[in-house]
Amino acid sequence: MTLFDRVFSGSDAVYGLTEGAINAAIEKYGADKAVAFPNTAYSLPCYYCVTGTKVTNLGELKDALGVVKSLMTREQKLNDAFMSGVATALCAEFIEVLKYIDGAEPYSEPCYGHLADAVIRELGVPLVTGDIPGVAVILGKAPSADEAAELVKSYQAQGILVTLVGDVIDQCVEKKVNMGAGVRVIPLGKDVTAVIHVVSVAIRAALIFGNVTPGDAAGLMKYTMERVPAFVNAFAPLDDVVVAAGAGAIALGFPVITNETENIFRVPKSLIVQEDVSKFNATSLEARDIKIKITKIDIPVAFASAFEGEIVRRKQMQVEFDGSRVDCFELVQTKEASEIEDHKIELIGPDIDTFEKGSKHSIAYIVEVAGRTMQSDFESVFERKFHSYLNCIEGVMHTGQRDMIRIRISDAAFDAGFRAKHIGEVLYAKVKNDFDAVVDKCQVKVITDPELVTKLRHELAIPAFDKRDDRLQSLTDESVDVYYSCIMCQAFSPSHVCVVTPERLGLCGAVSWLDAKATNELEPTGPCQVITKEKLIDDRIGEYEDVNEAVRKFSNGALEEVSLYSIMEKPMTSCGCFECICGIEPFSNGVIIANREYAGMTPLGMTFPELASMTGGGVQTPGFMGHGKHFIASKKFMKAEGGIERIVWMPKDLKEQVAERLNATAKELYGIDNFTDMIGDETIAEDPETLLAFLTEKGHPALAMDPMM
Amino acid sequence: MGDFKLTSIEEFEAATAKLLETGAKVGADSWQLRVKNQTPHCKFGEQGVCCRICSMGPCRITPKAPRGICGCDVHGIVGRNYLKFTAGGAATHSDHGREICHTLYLSAEDGNYHVKDPDKLKKIAKEWGVETEGKDIYDLAHEMAELALLEYGKPFGNQRWLKRAPEHTQELWERENIAPRAIDREVASSLHMTHMGCSSKPEALIRQSLRAGLADGWGGSMCGTEFSDVLFGTPKPIDTEANLGVMNAENVNIVVHGHDPSLSEMICEYADDPEMIAYAKSFGAKGITVSGVCCTSNEVAMRRGIPMAGNFLQQENVVLTGACEAIVVDVQCIFPALGPLSKCFHTKFITTSPIAQMPDSEFIEFHAENAGENAKAIVKMACENFVNRRQDLVYIPDMKQKATVGYSVEAIVKTLDGVTNSQVDETGTTKPLLECITSGVIRGAVAMVGCNNPKVRPDYAHVELMKKLIANDIIIIASGCSAQAAARAGLMSKEAKDLCGAGLKRVCELADIPPVLHMGSCVDISRMLVLAATLSKESGLPISALPVVGCAPEWMSEKAVSIGNYVVATGIDTFLGVDPYVSGSTEVADLLTNGIRNWVEAAYTVEKDIDKLGDAMIARIEEKRAALGI
Repeated sequence: MTLFDRVFSGSDAVYGLTEGAINAAIEKYGADKAVAFPNTAYSLPCYYCVTGTKVTNLGELKDALGVVKSLMTREQKLNDAFMSGVATALCAEFIEVLKYIDGAEPYSEPCYGHLADAVIRELGVPLVTGDIPGVAVILGKAPSADEAAELVKSYQAQGILVTLVGDVIDQCVEKKVNMGAGVRVIPLGKDVTAVIHVVSVAIRAALIFGNVTPGDAAGLMKYTMERVPAFVNAFAPLDDVVVAAGAGAIALGFPVITNETENIFRVPKSLIVQEDVSKFNATSLEARDIKIKITKIDIPVAFASAFEGEIVRRKQMQVEFDGSRVDCFELVQTKEASEIEDHKIELIGPDIDTFEKGSKHSIAYIVEVAGRTMQSDFESVFERKFHSYLNCIEGVMHTGQRDMIRIRISDAAFDAGFRAKHIGEVLYAKVKNDFDAVVDKCQVKVITDPELVTKLRHELAIPAFDKRDDRLQSLTDESVDVYYSCIMCQAFSPSHVCVVTPERLGLCGAVSWLDAKATNELEPTGPCQVITKEKLIDDRIGEYEDVNEAVRKFSNGALEEVSLYSIMEKPMTSCGCFECICGIEPFSNGVIIANREYAGMTPLGMTFPELASMTGGGVQTPGFMGHGKHFIASKKFMKAEGGIERIVWMPKDLKEQVAERLNATAKELYGIDNFTDMIGDETIAEDPETLLAFLTEKGHPALAMDPMM
Repeated sequence: MGDFKLTSIEEFEAATAKLLETGAKVGADSWQLRVKNQTPHCKFGEQGVCCRICSMGPCRITPKAPRGICGCDVHGIVGRNYLKFTAGGAATHSDHGREICHTLYLSAEDGNYHVKDPDKLKKIAKEWGVETEGKDIYDLAHEMAELALLEYGKPFGNQRWLKRAPEHTQELWERENIAPRAIDREVASSLHMTHMGCSSKPEALIRQSLRAGLADGWGGSMCGTEFSDVLFGTPKPIDTEANLGVMNAENVNIVVHGHDPSLSEMICEYADDPEMIAYAKSFGAKGITVSGVCCTSNEVAMRRGIPMAGNFLQQENVVLTGACEAIVVDVQCIFPALGPLSKCFHTKFITTSPIAQMPDSEFIEFHAENAGENAKAIVKMACENFVNRRQDLVYIPDMKQKATVGYSVEAIVKTLDGVTNSQVDETGTTKPLLECITSGVIRGAVAMVGCNNPKVRPDYAHVELMKKLIANDIIIIASGCSAQAAARAGLMSKEAKDLCGAGLKRVCELADIPPVLHMGSCVDISRMLVLAATLSKESGLPISALPVVGCAPEWMSEKAVSIGNYVVATGIDTFLGVDPYVSGSTEVADLLTNGIRNWVEAAYTVEKDIDKLGDAMIARIEEKRAALGI
């Protein structure tokens, strides 16, 4: 049997099953029964992206199956095999969506099944920065549970996002592999059709970040092939159904690596037979051209971005440093080169092994750097990365910043030999690695002596932070000479450009003006380029000829003009990984803001995923704008339309996060006290009428403003 | 991307029409006019039934006169003509190879010609059992050159290069008694056999045709290719441009034309010389543009990225642009028409080889000893001629395409290494290509070769067949004027991947190649033999079992028939779009299209309907796949 015959046979088999399942469902529920995946704005994402059609009920699903059948042509050509592979994937999506009828929750611990849009939006930044260098799809049953666990852990240690389908899940459970979205190992489900949930992620990435038009199957395949670094590891035996699904994966550009040797064909860079499972990792990375950034750090536990989201719970905790209870701080200081001995890690005070299990302590770590091109403006840029650095240590959790930090070290990490100086090792290695262009020498002081920490907090840290705050305060869009472009996301969103100004950080929330400046300094031809602001066109909306020129250039002509301060006129575009989205609320003349974490309904009748799907992919959508959380309290937030006074609703959590700064801005700009009290949230209103009543009662200023459209 | 578009045959023709208007203004002749004068062609000649090898005739065979005066029947006459035609081609290619061997013999550290690829020289030396250790590279070069020259006249034994063929192929050659002996001997024997009163048995004549062809492909041509690589470098992928638009109206334009790279290499060398560029500027030009026509163009494009102005039937067009300061030619496929045509313009028509001397040309004889100074003199002459241009006659069609060329076998293997996985694959093999073929991602390969011929709408067959084949996931290797047709149309641009079927498109993307691979000049069809042999050895399949065919849809020269014979005799089915003057004999035609399959496992197909020719190739490839169960 030819390879293509195997694909055709597998595809026919899955089609038959799908047809039976849909017919049975229609018989049971009727053709009008609604079908949908939860928490997505993209209907059945795979089918929607391939065909441009949204399916809402069983009757339409049946029609869709007819369309799928039309893809299943049978010439002995790769195109036919690809299309049958895609048809197989679509059938899998249909079978999976049937499981969600009536709001059922078909998947339970440890399996995830369908993944929400928000998960994909969160993946955007780590994928572009290379923190997640790839996505592994592991399918079937490994020759042994040990080999399964080893393979998964090897990817995890590289920061690769791992999704599991089939018996490998039980093998990992058996071997107690640390699994879950937080540690980047996501068991999807045990049926082979569950693989569609990761395909759905790749495809939604194309819709969200790539601005691929639904129905443009060729554009979709080009996007996933060029920009989604996924690959498949499929364990023997491969039946025809898996071969057919594999054809679908290869069509999207994802190579399949298998240990199957019977009745299989080899295709360079696409279908690779690797008999030795212990070499799956190396074979896969090479096949997908994935380069792992290795930071060799001399610590007794793993260090990988996969552990960034790991949570250390109280009962697994060996020791805690808690800045809310005792004095703690983290600080970067610029020194003269002569004052620094490179790679000196100094512990001042008792080490962790002298602390009682479960106890709380003071800690301070001061990273002292020197370099010819080092600027004190970069200190805070480095410092903001400490959160990520320390979290990447297996068994260490870090939250907060400056003198409000909390660090937990797990008993497992402690048992493995993790001690206080290792914090210094990690900080040293990462600062030297990430900022090698400006940091020539670096030393770290880790201080656990509580009295010294208290003294230094007040005498050294707080004055340094205050000085920085003054500097930040003085950094306004008017006070600086240049802005920066950021096209870090172009790996995913090829036509999007952020213009980063002091009062408007990148919409992902990850790139402030200072970050952009440092990035430019570190990598002068890199993603952040200087944009001059000499040719003002319109002060009101913040439009500059220089900015337009830069945007035109960096978007490769996709974007002509942008304003910095308007969401109605030439608004800035989004890549898709924005922290928040705001959209106009016509009844109150205001805007509502929803953040990515918010799962509920908004008064616009749309959830965050639905709102988010209105924009992104580098496209201008007046009335909707993606932005960072920090931007909400900016004086430049939709300044052209009247500024923050327009904000009428946000989720409660978000409101609390931004309250202090937002209230301060409102006070300064309009003399309003406690402005956030006037802003609705989901506990007050999830529909426009209730919201309007609330705003009227509070006398919200937006009501008296001109309509925005 | 996005805006990539092939240049159509209609656009080619519109440009030519416009150039012919310029020609009309100055009273120039053209092949288009001469074709009219020569039509209809002699039917006896076309069928191959005219015999003029002795002075009793000429005899021509008709139903009423079924035998010549000597009694030879139509089959003997057609067969003899076919063998003579072959011998002409084999002699021509092989003599080109001989010139290269001579040049290698004269290469010297401080001479005009150097050994640019010593590794390849050593590799061949090893293959031929010549000790390389401790030898000066030029001593080795001279030793190898002498050995190669001996291949032309060795009294005993067969061609050295035959050992490169798979065992099975060598056995077939032995069995059928067609393994070529000395190159010159096969040519001479052919002419002997076709002398009055020698062979008239079609089987014997065709057998010798195959043998003479093999002496070319696995002898003289292979010497030409291999030692050209040693002298001028083994081609590797390089970007260039193709079509008349590569000529630059502001520059001194020198066009090199012919086949032997020894001349064109030297011209390119001097055209790049700052002293010469300054000289060109002193006459008001902005610089010097060297572009090529025919196979000498393929040679310098593959090694230097020199742009390709056109193929065989474009040779008059380059003069008709009115912007050609000099057209410098070496050997083969040069229209004598260029002499009179150049007189209608300011163009200098410079012949350089005693082999190709023509009226109305300036003859500057080229040898290895004087190559440098003569090349310089020619470049200077072209610069000085810039001021003689008639500006009112200058029209360069604004038409060119990007092309990536330079796919020698070595470069193909290197490219294939790029898609291997070091965890499972070995490098330095053609296995990735074989895997693409066995899995069905690529259905097969077609070697597109050969000339232009006014009997076929020029370039139409090349370009349309290639478009059809790549859309069917069949990869193309091309050489000669076929390769130039592809490049001019845009089929050698990497962006042409979008015209492929999904399988070939994916391969082009992963390997970063265009769907039509430029393997060189017509002599370089020997590269295709080496590639086929390698694929056979690495797959364990006979060459004839591989889903690979050859095609010369617009062929015209004797060389093409010689090529066809060695390709078929190597086990590769060959498809022709023009009949090789054999339609007058059912026996000869049947042997070529059928009978020889029993000897060499391959045969010819002749089909003048280009669309049907394409279908026939696809069908043959699928038949071969089905036979292998892939």
